Amino acid sequence: MRIFAGTLYMVFLSACASNNAAITESGSQVQVRQIQTRTYDTLDKRDTLRSVLATLQDLGFVIDKADYELATISATKLQDYQIRMTVTVRERGGERLDVRANARFNESTVEDPLAYQDFFAVLDKAMFLTLHNVD
Amino acid sequence: MALRARLLLPLIILAGCETLPRDAFRLSESALATREMQTREYASMSDTEILSASTAVLQDLGYAIDEVEEPLGVLSASKRADATSGIKAVGSLAMDGVKCIFSFLRACDGKNYSKLDDVQDIRLTLISRPQLDNEENVVVRITIQRVIWDKKGRLSVQQTVTDSSVYESFFDKMSKAVFLEQEGV
Repeated sequence: MRIFAGTLYMVFLSACASNNAAITESGSQVQVRQIQTRTYDTLDKRDTLRSVLATLQDLGFVIDKADYELATISATKLQDYQIRMTVTVRERGGERLDVRANARFNESTVEDPLAYQDFFAVLDKAMFLTLHNVD
Repeated sequence: MALRARLLLPLIILAGCETLPRDAFRLSESALATREMQTREYASMSDTEILSASTAVLQDLGYAIDEVEEPLGVLSASKRADATSGIKAVGSLAMDGVKCIFSFLRACDGKNYSKLDDVQDIRLTLISRPQLDNEENVVVRITIQRVIWDKKGRLSVQQTVTDSSVYESFFDKMSKAVFLEQEGV
């Protein structure tokens, strides 16, 4: 019984992550980028970043860092859980911008494509309103 | 026993890894009302004037500015504040006292008192941007979060502040600051 309890405890501790593996993570970088990136047909970096900010505020985030030059925004959402997120905007040839978002939920990386789809669905709307000057 | 263990293991593994709530990146039904509560418009002001007035308000309220990015109209600030409630403290002390006496001094651990809220870390973001259909006006939106710690330093609550009176009170002060900014006081 004691061994059984000990085994359960070990399983519980090892269920989520090990120490060093968490630093570099595993999995396909290319796939992760695809899930986390959406391309928009605009070259307006400022409006895109403003749409990202509006989206993050709509979703209940507080902004930790925002840098216009580097087009990077980091934000935190606190509810019964914690989500930290970084969103970057980069020019991608052909008059388009790539918006990439990566999120951490408590102690783990958000890998669920549906979560990013949800995020970009909200951003799509904000982008539409901003680019068409509708308040 | 073996069967029970087999049933228990997946449950324990699942409990070890919390899952992301399905609505974490979705707008809630109250999102529009929340946005209205957190937003005000100011006429005939530039982003920079608003940011300057906002900084002054935050200083009035004892916040430290953590982040300012003028080209995006972003301002983030934080402060640590008291989170104790006098009435709750008296109640908890009384309950601990009664428990201590009725247990003949065997349960005098002050458990109720130690669970009381002690301090809170408040963080807020203020974003100002030109109104989309009238660039002469500025739209300001703030979001506020807080983390509350109990008397033993344990996490008690982490939440987004949704109490409309907090936002109203903030924007009241903001209006005064905007007036002072416009008058050059």
